[in-house]
Amino acid sequence: MALLEVNNLDVRFAVRGGDLKALRGISFSLDKGERLGLVGESGAGKSVAAFAILNLIARPGYIAGGEVLFDGRNLATMKPRELRDIRGHRIAMIFQDPMMTLNPVISIGTQMVETLQAHRRISTADARAIAIDNLRKVQIPSPEKRLDQYPHELSGGMRQRVIIAIALLLEPEIIIADEPTTALDVTIQAEIMALLLELCEQEQVALMLITHDLGVVAQVTQRMLVMYSGRIIEQGPTRDIIHHPRHPYTQGLIKALPQVGEPGTRLYQIPGSMPSLNRVPPGCPFNPRCPFVMERCLETMPDYVRSGAVDVACYEVEDRLAAGKAILEVGQ
Amino acid sequence: MTAVTLSRWQRLRQSDLWHSFVRDKVAMLSLLVFVLMVCAALLAPLLAPTNPYDLAQINIMNSELPPMGSAGSDPAFPLGTDAQGRDMLSTILYGTRVSLLIGFGAVVLQSVLGILFGLLAGYFGGRVDAILMRIADVQLSFSTLMVAIIVGAVFKASFGNLMFGDIAVYLLIFIIGVAEWPQIARTVRASVLAEKKKEYVDAARVMGFGARRIMFRHILPNTLSPILVIGTVQIANAIISEAALSFLGLGMPETQPSLGSLIKSGFDYIQSGSWWITLIPGVVLVVLVLVINLLGDWLRDVMNPRLYKG
Amino acid sequence: MSADKAPLVRVRQLEKRFDLSGGLLDQLRFREGRLTRHREYVHAINGVDLDIEPGEALCVVGESGCGKSTVARTVMGLLSPTAGEVHYEGQRIDNLSRAAAMPYRRKMQMIFQNPYASLNPRMTIQQTLEEPIRFHRRDWKPEQVQAKVAEVMASVGIDPDWGKRFGHEFSGGQRQRIAIARALVVDPEFIVADEPISALDVSIQAQVLNLLKEAQDSRGLTYLFITHDLAVVEHFGTRVAVMYLGRICELATTATLFAKPRHPYTQALLSAIPRLEDERPNHIRLQGEVPTPVQLPSGCVFHGRCPYANARCKEEIPRLIATDDGTRVACHGVEEGRL
Repeated sequence: MALLEVNNLDVRFAVRGGDLKALRGISFSLDKGERLGLVGESGAGKSVAAFAILNLIARPGYIAGGEVLFDGRNLATMKPRELRDIRGHRIAMIFQDPMMTLNPVISIGTQMVETLQAHRRISTADARAIAIDNLRKVQIPSPEKRLDQYPHELSGGMRQRVIIAIALLLEPEIIIADEPTTALDVTIQAEIMALLLELCEQEQVALMLITHDLGVVAQVTQRMLVMYSGRIIEQGPTRDIIHHPRHPYTQGLIKALPQVGEPGTRLYQIPGSMPSLNRVPPGCPFNPRCPFVMERCLETMPDYVRSGAVDVACYEVEDRLAAGKAILEVGQ
Repeated sequence: MTAVTLSRWQRLRQSDLWHSFVRDKVAMLSLLVFVLMVCAALLAPLLAPTNPYDLAQINIMNSELPPMGSAGSDPAFPLGTDAQGRDMLSTILYGTRVSLLIGFGAVVLQSVLGILFGLLAGYFGGRVDAILMRIADVQLSFSTLMVAIIVGAVFKASFGNLMFGDIAVYLLIFIIGVAEWPQIARTVRASVLAEKKKEYVDAARVMGFGARRIMFRHILPNTLSPILVIGTVQIANAIISEAALSFLGLGMPETQPSLGSLIKSGFDYIQSGSWWITLIPGVVLVVLVLVINLLGDWLRDVMNPRLYKG
Repeated sequence: MSADKAPLVRVRQLEKRFDLSGGLLDQLRFREGRLTRHREYVHAINGVDLDIEPGEALCVVGESGCGKSTVARTVMGLLSPTAGEVHYEGQRIDNLSRAAAMPYRRKMQMIFQNPYASLNPRMTIQQTLEEPIRFHRRDWKPEQVQAKVAEVMASVGIDPDWGKRFGHEFSGGQRQRIAIARALVVDPEFIVADEPISALDVSIQAQVLNLLKEAQDSRGLTYLFITHDLAVVEHFGTRVAVMYLGRICELATTATLFAKPRHPYTQALLSAIPRLEDERPNHIRLQGEVPTPVQLPSGCVFHGRCPYANARCKEEIPRLIATDDGTRVACHGVEEGRL
């Protein structure tokens, strides 16, 4: 059985003039020690998905349906007291902004010791020893000194390392990382991603990496989901999708990357932009931008079809597969 | 044209401002009361049964008549009369007019000074900012009362009491306006500093636009929301300041009473049982200031950028 | 492009530092029984030389705090240099009066990073686009102004219906189109683009890059393109200047730089780009962190993190020296043939 199983998760935001559907029935699973990438543009619902898994959706948002099974128990309907035992303990979260996690007026050591003592009966001395151990694990130089420092005394890269150390403190089974390196420079990003990858492999922690950067997904994850307007439109092994994307949106996303195009030539561009949540068209949400749009696409949302190890929601792909023909590529 | 182009009215109907307004009963009621009071004050010459400035219409024999419902009242004077025999209803209508005029006038003056100095200080920064803001600090450390006493005394000494009565309204507008401009200047400066960092200002500078054009055409329109909020509150403050000055005898003369001088004139008779001369204008003043402040609070909630744009 | 053509923009020994020390009272320190005046500066740019040839797209790359945006703003006159000169078509422009600089305000334009802040929220799109023309072409008739606006709107793919609407009604990509249109309406020759796509989503970035490229081809524009994203540079730039802590460490044509990076920092930067074909991160690991520009390291600014640094690197500032393939590198190691 999968460690985490999300079934038909539906999240809405109650605003004036009705509900906005932020997640429209997403389903996926995460195995022990697996690294999963969640890709999409801003507003696609990546972060909402992460928050919904931990049942952290705040009003006016709410989980309107579906389940999040962790170890066989449904987090979506769990009581707050039980949830506290899972959040941060068995499922840890890393945010883009380290200051979401770090309290600016408490020293790093105290924050780490308190996190440990909140979940375990442990002496302060032992907790400090574990904290130092974890800081060393994330390759922070002279960790004994860092314990007494405050978050603002550290650089952005160091802070994100501390966050990873805190996330690992309670030996979680899953780490959800929401754009952990977006605010950092490229060289620092590379170091943090490599560190995260190594630690997840060493400690057999499952990683759910939320990012807009396909390059990072390619380097770090084994499986990936592509999200668009609150739906998962394609999911499967990362390498498979990166090299042979099926969905026209995924294809366009990859072809639009400057590193893919021939230097100096025109880049492939997906026309238009992703609709905001209150303007999602009926049928397949990608239909206004899709070069292969058909009448069916305007009416109903396509179901998933399997192509190799990849699940994809697209009528065009479905028809081609049924006819035994090769999948069309955008821009050709 | 499609639904893209909307009339101003449609734009307003779709705005957050309108939406929050129709949901806020307090704001709606406050605006209603305020509009009614302003209309009544503006139309005072038409609505008032008598003209309190016209000595010919006043009969001293009618003095200190109680309002309707009390023993000895006269139906011709529904709110009673004051010690000089003036109809309270008419005096209050005219007095509200004077109070509102001074309130609005003072805020217009404050805004002109405050916006100008705030823009200059915020946009140019450095020395200009330091000098203007120190002047503002000095100005704020004088109380309005002190300024009024000094200006009033100097004026009365040099031109005499009669002349003072003629221009008292303008003098009060001047005093309150000059005493309180730093409030607006500080608000404007703070929002100019925030706007100045935004790239549209850089874009305007790259275009070669001059400082005046950038300040007034680009930055000023984007600082109007906080100015509107503080301006509303300042109207209420100016009306209170005026009332306080008049109550102390430094404001409007009794021949052209404002709400403040009405309260003062009645205060001498409160011991003799003529409570209405003080109480009724007092209630009107409180209601007026209250609704303006409630409107200001509502505006502040709606226009708070953190709540509004978030 | 012929090598003997004079550069369009020439930047000479540009320096910019920002005073951190505040007012006079904040600067006074009482130390060892004596009152001293203590001043602190951020050394944002420390001696930058650049020649921008007509028709090229010169990219300036570097990480946050390397001074790339400061270079852009100083060239545009938004900041005045602490030392050094900026020339445009042979004329020195950094010390001109406002009136004398006016022709250059039209010839040089800028596109900003944040499309959400670069449009005036209280002006309609039509007003935003008309104002610069009216300002710079005072003799134009209203019909001429409107025709120009319509022409530019069509060329950047703006629906004419947008004119009556306000900036906040548009998505980030659309706003960036409008901002590009605003730069183009005055017919500039030279455009500084300061991270124009880094605030946009991936699928929109390609649209904006294509638009900038089209505008360059059809209008013969010259770009100074500031970015932190090397992948974009590879696609967009003709030449690249890599900056680190306010200095240029390598200047080369794009193809040469990506094929044969010479400076150790450029090598590290290139290796850090997450590429689709990578199975794992395979970046060059640097030691330490970027020092602050308040207290610049002595000698080569990169020596503290460089795996090849020696005693000379710690003492002597390396100059940009041309190598055999035309690349200019500021590195003692390259100069000595060690690297």
